[in-house]
Amino acid sequence: MATKPTPRGYPLEHTRDGKPRFRGCVKVAEYDYICKLGEGTFGEVSKARSKKTGQVVALKKILVHNEKDGFPITALREIKLLKALRHPNVLQLVEMAVERPKDVTKKSNMFMVTPYMDHDLSGMLKNPRIQFTEPQIKCYMKQLLEGCKYLHESKILHRDMKAANLLISNKGILQIADFGLARPYDDAPPQPGKGGGEATRSYTTLVVTRWYRPPELLLQLRNYTTAVDMWGVGCVFGEMFKRRPILQGDSDLAQAQLIFTLCGSPNDQSMPGWNTLPGCEEVTDWGDRRPTIRQTFKELSPTGLSLLEALLKLDWRTRINAIDALQHPYFHTHPLPARPEDLPVMEDSHEFDKQKQREERKPPPAPAGGQVGIGPQNEYGFQDRSRPYDRQSGRGGGRPPYANGQRRPPPHGQNGDYPDHRGPRPPRNNDSYDHAYRQPRHYDDPAYDRDRRPPPQYYDEPYSRRPPPDTSLPPRPPAPEVDPPYRDRDDRPPPRRIPPGAETGRPPADRQPAPIVDTYIPAYSSADPHARPPRNVLRSAIQGQPGDPTTRRAPLPPRDDAGRPISRGDYPPRRGSGEYDDVLSYDDQVNGDPYPRRGPSSVGSYERRRTRSRSPQRERIPDREREREYYGPGPRR
Amino acid sequence: MARHASLAIISNSLATSKQVLELKNRDATTSVVDANLFKTSLLTQFAGLLLHLPQEVIATSIIILQRFLVSSASIATEIDLLTTSQLIPEASLVSASAASVYLSAKQSFYPLSPRSIINVYALLTSPEASLLSFINSNATGIIHSSEPPNSRNYHVSEGAYETHRQALFDAESRILASLAFDTKVVLPHTLALTYMQALSASTVPLAERVLAHLNAALLSPQLLYLTHQPNALAVAAIYLAAREQEVALVDDEVAWWEVFDVGREGLGFLVLSMGSLNGFVEAEKVSWTGN
Repeated sequence: MATKPTPRGYPLEHTRDGKPRFRGCVKVAEYDYICKLGEGTFGEVSKARSKKTGQVVALKKILVHNEKDGFPITALREIKLLKALRHPNVLQLVEMAVERPKDVTKKSNMFMVTPYMDHDLSGMLKNPRIQFTEPQIKCYMKQLLEGCKYLHESKILHRDMKAANLLISNKGILQIADFGLARPYDDAPPQPGKGGGEATRSYTTLVVTRWYRPPELLLQLRNYTTAVDMWGVGCVFGEMFKRRPILQGDSDLAQAQLIFTLCGSPNDQSMPGWNTLPGCEEVTDWGDRRPTIRQTFKELSPTGLSLLEALLKLDWRTRINAIDALQHPYFHTHPLPARPEDLPVMEDSHEFDKQKQREERKPPPAPAGGQVGIGPQNEYGFQDRSRPYDRQSGRGGGRPPYANGQRRPPPHGQNGDYPDHRGPRPPRNNDSYDHAYRQPRHYDDPAYDRDRRPPPQYYDEPYSRRPPPDTSLPPRPPAPEVDPPYRDRDDRPPPRRIPPGAETGRPPADRQPAPIVDTYIPAYSSADPHARPPRNVLRSAIQGQPGDPTTRRAPLPPRDDAGRPISRGDYPPRRGSGEYDDVLSYDDQVNGDPYPRRGPSSVGSYERRRTRSRSPQRERIPDREREREYYGPGPRR
Repeated sequence: MARHASLAIISNSLATSKQVLELKNRDATTSVVDANLFKTSLLTQFAGLLLHLPQEVIATSIIILQRFLVSSASIATEIDLLTTSQLIPEASLVSASAASVYLSAKQSFYPLSPRSIINVYALLTSPEASLLSFINSNATGIIHSSEPPNSRNYHVSEGAYETHRQALFDAESRILASLAFDTKVVLPHTLALTYMQALSASTVPLAERVLAHLNAALLSPQLLYLTHQPNALAVAAIYLAAREQEVALVDDEVAWWEVFDVGREGLGFLVLSMGSLNGFVEAEKVSWTGN
């Protein structure tokens, strides 16, 4: 029974389906468990089907890690935001489900119920057998921008835009997921033609996964705008062509370097106000580099390049906003964006996971957030999942839900051929899709309904009982005193990095001849251990080698899932071994702190700048701090 | 909801009349339910004051608590406690009150530790030390007492704290589950001030009276915040306050409330409810002391 709207609109006592507003959560028993999708520090994500509607969903269990604080505030925020949002390109929170244990002394478990999505963009890009055509890229970009436009006009900052958080269904629908870092935006939403506008309010800069972090955040702009998300969109856009994150910095400083190598050094024209910002790790001089973006992305069409440049604009005030980006000629010139339903159904990626996972650099985790928990790829664990076993065709194959580098052969055939429940498999030849783009058709029709294909028959049931992953980590070295700049959040073995020459398709930005060498050896280390280097010393050291300021701090060791450092011997050498690690290796930090600037007096500031972990086991930034950030600097007693 | 994103800023989810009826019909004499509702709301208000929470957060707590009670009316269990006629509310009602404060403080500028909340509730439910006269018959109801009550009466030992904290978290989970996580609360206070400006009647005495009515309405056993939208509550409070202070708002002939999307009937009901609250509280007080 549907509620009838009164002349004044829908009554607020009922939801649209006529149920009372305060009716409680459904029981999780309303869902049939299908299989486990992922597991990590964030808890467990399962695939399930609603007994009532038949909808296939993902159930994300909310772990109450910290017994001290009750229900995690980060989860509360995420739920509150998701409840207020509804858009075809934003992952919808279907409802909350509760599981009451029979034993009353045990805690009840809460689940976030979201529609099941087949892939995430990051996983698709890692699968070399999935090739994107330009109309397909345009289609995804268009949906991504529609989602962003909606979020921004609803005054929400997503703050963790990245390929892994973009889920894609087999119907070609892209949805923005993971609102664990999102927050309401207090200033006016972006206006057409006015970029991101100006913000009056300050927020924390400890947001956005580093590789997708915009320059103004790296330079510590606190009153940032919706433009931070647009930078991430630009990174994703480039990533769709390069098939890997385009800016993979090992540290915040290296990230800034990569950005300024690609987009040119900041100056008063390209980034007005840049020199009034605090700077990245106290570095404020970025040399005088020319942008290399046009050479780096020569494979893009002129309109594509123009859009990419508009998205990756250093000046956050004039960086294109989602409204304008949707009007960009890129989406209105041939080849026109494909319609989602015309996109090929993606094949599964299980042939490649293991290999890919070894090769791939893991993205650094998103900073803050919390116990809601985010996996390395995305919190829903949709990465690279295979299509379920299809009974009709008897083909397809399950793959365990990503993550561990650990894989069993699928129970059913895995011949790479995949069933298409919607008809014959589309040819792999890219050109053959052209018919779909010739007419300027759009996907604006409301047929965004969820995937309701026949139920997978518990095809990968064995995986729910699969053995614990073999993390194959070496014995732990003693934990260094320092905090890691980031830590890895999954159990995969550390990535093997490939020297730039050996890798094809590496963005030339990374192959720039000038290696990032830190020739500046901090002379102050023998002096007063609490003294910081005077800024001008640093600057003078940087000058003379334009294009290559410096990391004064050695990259910190990677961490494994429990926050313990992965021993250096087993961690792959940094790309281009002539890099700065020769000057300052992290071992120095283990043995003794050669960075006197982090004296007792500066600990506080370092603490504040540290990338925060989402893992509950490790020392947590007190929720208080996050709360203060989230709601602003409240006049707390 | 999103389609009415702008409207969502000034509107609340409401309880159905059926839900409210179910709640009231738990007992043959609704007065027991009413009394318990009032006491629990008052307890929450006092706790919020002792915890130095701003009224905004306290009001949110009370509304969340009432939503919880209403939504669990059909589930029974807790709600049966509302029908027990005794002076001190049942322990699980106290936990629910504490958890609603905890939950709304957590989502506000002013997060609180479980310890602070448990300490304050220990004080408030102590028959010797409570500031609430339905719990402690000697209570003056004044918070800024120059003679602090003997702390022995409300000391929370480490062991008791663990137990209380567990109860607090359990209640928090129950509340969230009952509300299906709908913790968004819109308050009428700022709306009322805006309306007064629109009516060119923005004076301090009138504003004080309007806010007093709005805050008192939180305690109403008629659960006005669960059955009426913020705009209606704001208009009713302005109407009542203006009548009391004999402030002429606009021409008598003009149905100014319709400008704020409030019907004459709804306004009448609210004015009556808000106006009758005083009588209800007086009667309650008599029943507490027994004279």
